[in-house]
Amino acid sequence: MTRYILGRILSLVFVLFAVSVIVFSVMHAVPGGPFDATDGKLPPAAMENIMRKYGLDKPVWQQYLNYMGNALRFDFGIPYQQPHTTVAALIRKTWGVTVQVGIMTLIVAFGIGIAAGMFAAYNQNSWVDNLVTFTTTLGFTVPNFVVAMWFILFFAVARQWLPMGGWGSSQCLIGSFFCTDWILPVIAYSLAPMAVVARYTRASIVDVKRADYIRTARAKGVSERKVMSKHVFRNAQIPMVTALGTEIPNLITGSIFIESIFRINGLGKFFVTSTLNRDYPMIMATFLLIALLWGITYLLTDIAYTVIDPRVRLGGRKEA
Amino acid sequence: MKKLLYSLVSTLLVFGIAFAQEMPADAAPTEEQVLRVPCDNTRNEVTFDFAVSVYQRYACVSDLFQDTLIDLDKDFNVIPASAESWSVSEDGLTWTFKLKPGLMWSDGTPLTAYDYEATYRFSAMPDTAWDFTWFYSFIGPGGIKNWDKVVAGELPPEELGVVAVDDLTLEVTTEGPFPPLPGVMKFAFVLQKAALEAHGPYYNNDPATSVSAGPFMLESFDPGNKIVLVKNPNYTGYRPARLERIEGIYMAPATFFAAFEAGEVDRVPYEYLTPADFTIIENDPELSANYFRHFGDFRTDYLLFDTMNPPFDNLDVRKAFAMALDRDAIVKNVYGEIKAMPAHSMLMPGYPASDTEGELAEYQAFNCEKANEHLAAAGYPGGEGFPALEMWLRGEGPAMAAVYQASAASIAQCLNIDIQVSNKDGKVYTDAMNAKELQFGAVSYGMDFLDPSNLLGIWVSSGRHAWVNEEFDNLVAEASALVGDDEKRTQMFKDAERILVDDVGGVFIAHRWQGDLFKPYVLGDSFRVPDSNGISGVHWGNDNFWGDVYIGQK
Repeated sequence: MTRYILGRILSLVFVLFAVSVIVFSVMHAVPGGPFDATDGKLPPAAMENIMRKYGLDKPVWQQYLNYMGNALRFDFGIPYQQPHTTVAALIRKTWGVTVQVGIMTLIVAFGIGIAAGMFAAYNQNSWVDNLVTFTTTLGFTVPNFVVAMWFILFFAVARQWLPMGGWGSSQCLIGSFFCTDWILPVIAYSLAPMAVVARYTRASIVDVKRADYIRTARAKGVSERKVMSKHVFRNAQIPMVTALGTEIPNLITGSIFIESIFRINGLGKFFVTSTLNRDYPMIMATFLLIALLWGITYLLTDIAYTVIDPRVRLGGRKEA
Repeated sequence: MKKLLYSLVSTLLVFGIAFAQEMPADAAPTEEQVLRVPCDNTRNEVTFDFAVSVYQRYACVSDLFQDTLIDLDKDFNVIPASAESWSVSEDGLTWTFKLKPGLMWSDGTPLTAYDYEATYRFSAMPDTAWDFTWFYSFIGPGGIKNWDKVVAGELPPEELGVVAVDDLTLEVTTEGPFPPLPGVMKFAFVLQKAALEAHGPYYNNDPATSVSAGPFMLESFDPGNKIVLVKNPNYTGYRPARLERIEGIYMAPATFFAAFEAGEVDRVPYEYLTPADFTIIENDPELSANYFRHFGDFRTDYLLFDTMNPPFDNLDVRKAFAMALDRDAIVKNVYGEIKAMPAHSMLMPGYPASDTEGELAEYQAFNCEKANEHLAAAGYPGGEGFPALEMWLRGEGPAMAAVYQASAASIAQCLNIDIQVSNKDGKVYTDAMNAKELQFGAVSYGMDFLDPSNLLGIWVSSGRHAWVNEEFDNLVAEASALVGDDEKRTQMFKDAERILVDDVGGVFIAHRWQGDLFKPYVLGDSFRVPDSNGISGVHWGNDNFWGDVYIGQK
């Protein structure tokens, strides 16, 4: 197991290297540069100065080596969008909020999604099942920025029950334990993953319920409650872990739409603004972060499989 | 002793102004004098200061930490701001600006001409790579002496033609005579020399190092989240604040109007209002009474061509395009008449030397029949054989993209040709335009300063368009430098503009009316009382708005 994990970590290093080469090459190949003016161009002399100042006058391969050399020392450079700070400081500051939003969203999405999926599965083909299926389809297909705007128009503008955003800047209860401006973004953000989780859960439970070993357990007189909790739910967890594994990196790296619409000063927007502004240091840092998170999440998911299902063995060891 | 004297003088001035700046009878109590403005959380912004970056300023509350040398009144007349007077040497090259005595920074130190000198030197320094350096090159004879050489690193900043003679006297020397120079000093923003040297150009981004010579100062700043400015108690300038506080709240542009309706902000600029928002505004008596339309930066939307290569090297083709565009329908149905007026030339009526009589309208008036005659004369009868075109847009939002789509459709339908619209990434578009490799595109331009040499200057052959007309170039160059005969100067610019529209350097679509939506309790004569043209609103360059605006009783 340890050998397997070390091997995966080593392969993650290679993945990060490959990602860094691809992203660096592509972002430099795209037309337009970070300091192209919108109206009127910089005089050639000024452009040369600014390119020299940021090391962009050197060949691309040399820029790459310089960047990676610094990145290995956790120096990811200066973001062109906020030159008074560093990329590392900017990510530290904004990612904390994004992770907070993401964790709350995960709790809501998985809490409600699993409950709804189980409820639908236990009441298969009933009106409850149809309602969950309809709601989850809606949650999955309507983009979260559309839902966000509906929420704002209804809850903040028309009814004025809740603030339309700000993340922690409005009324907070029990110290800062719960703020009213968390409600709309978390619900809007959680609808799509909630739908995914509910559908995975329902499908897994329905599938396991039909399995031979469940019939056997019932035939042996095991109580229905025990069948469900000990056999059905446990065996249905593997697909759920797969769903969780794909949702975690998505949710904790933020959504430009949710963060932008609900005034959350998180990392999400930088994935888009960095590309639009050709903010090379920030593009590299955000892509490497995503690659790292995906790599770690997949590793943890694989380890989680072995905990849930002892039949799963990692590391290619042959059964005796 | 000197510092003590300054403090004494400034304290007296502060009390004097505070006494003079009585709040109007309908003002809300002091603690309610808070203006909340939305800030666009999608913009790429890095500084509060014009002298550090023009295009990446925190736009919602920029330029409040200093006064410029001059200001403009509501009728666009140049009026004193930090400078109380100015004069020009006999050769027309050296302008002497006298600062008002007693101006000071929020840290209690005096504001001097040396601060202005240091600011200009900083902006011109090669390492700064200021994004507005082009401007002082662009204005030709009005360019500051040695500007280009200092920017290129060929001369030290000390050789720049901006020199502090003493604490209160600043001399600006230009490359050639340039009568509108005082108006250009609307851009003479100032950084504090001491803070610049001690903390670098971004000193105003941190409340601990920020220092202001304007009516407000920085209390707190969380980039992308909130900016809080408070009244500067040491301010001794010409526009002392009535507001106690300004809060800039970052939000998505799509939510500005919703936030306004939810009572979370007090003002929304026109560019953040969608056609649907305008429909609501126009149908609501209170909202429409509080929407103030104005000239803004006299912005014109237009189509541009590569006139060096086929098919647009043929004047008949260009004329066909100019006459195939149904501007009236586009303004009425796509922009909405509250947002634009049809354009037949570059200068919006109201701008100096503009065609207020409508004499230029005939050159680019919509006439589909005549347009087809021109296209036939160019060798494409009924559009036959005309190459398919791709019209580039510069990363436009939905509202302006719809305008340009409609423009392309109008031309394509009238001339029976194929035009595909492609909304490009802004940087890709700009690269192509600056390289003059853009065959056919749409774009807009607003003035940088209030003189025809600005908006016509962008059309000279060294500018950004692939259109050359020697007569036009000569007229603009000669008129720009002409001193002492305003009437002749204006006529020369009018003649130049006639050449531009007749030779179809571009096809002009519309002049944009800009505007702001305010809450009814946001008051102030600077924007609620009309100018001499009957136009109310926040006029470009009239920075006294920030001293005048206040919160009325709700």
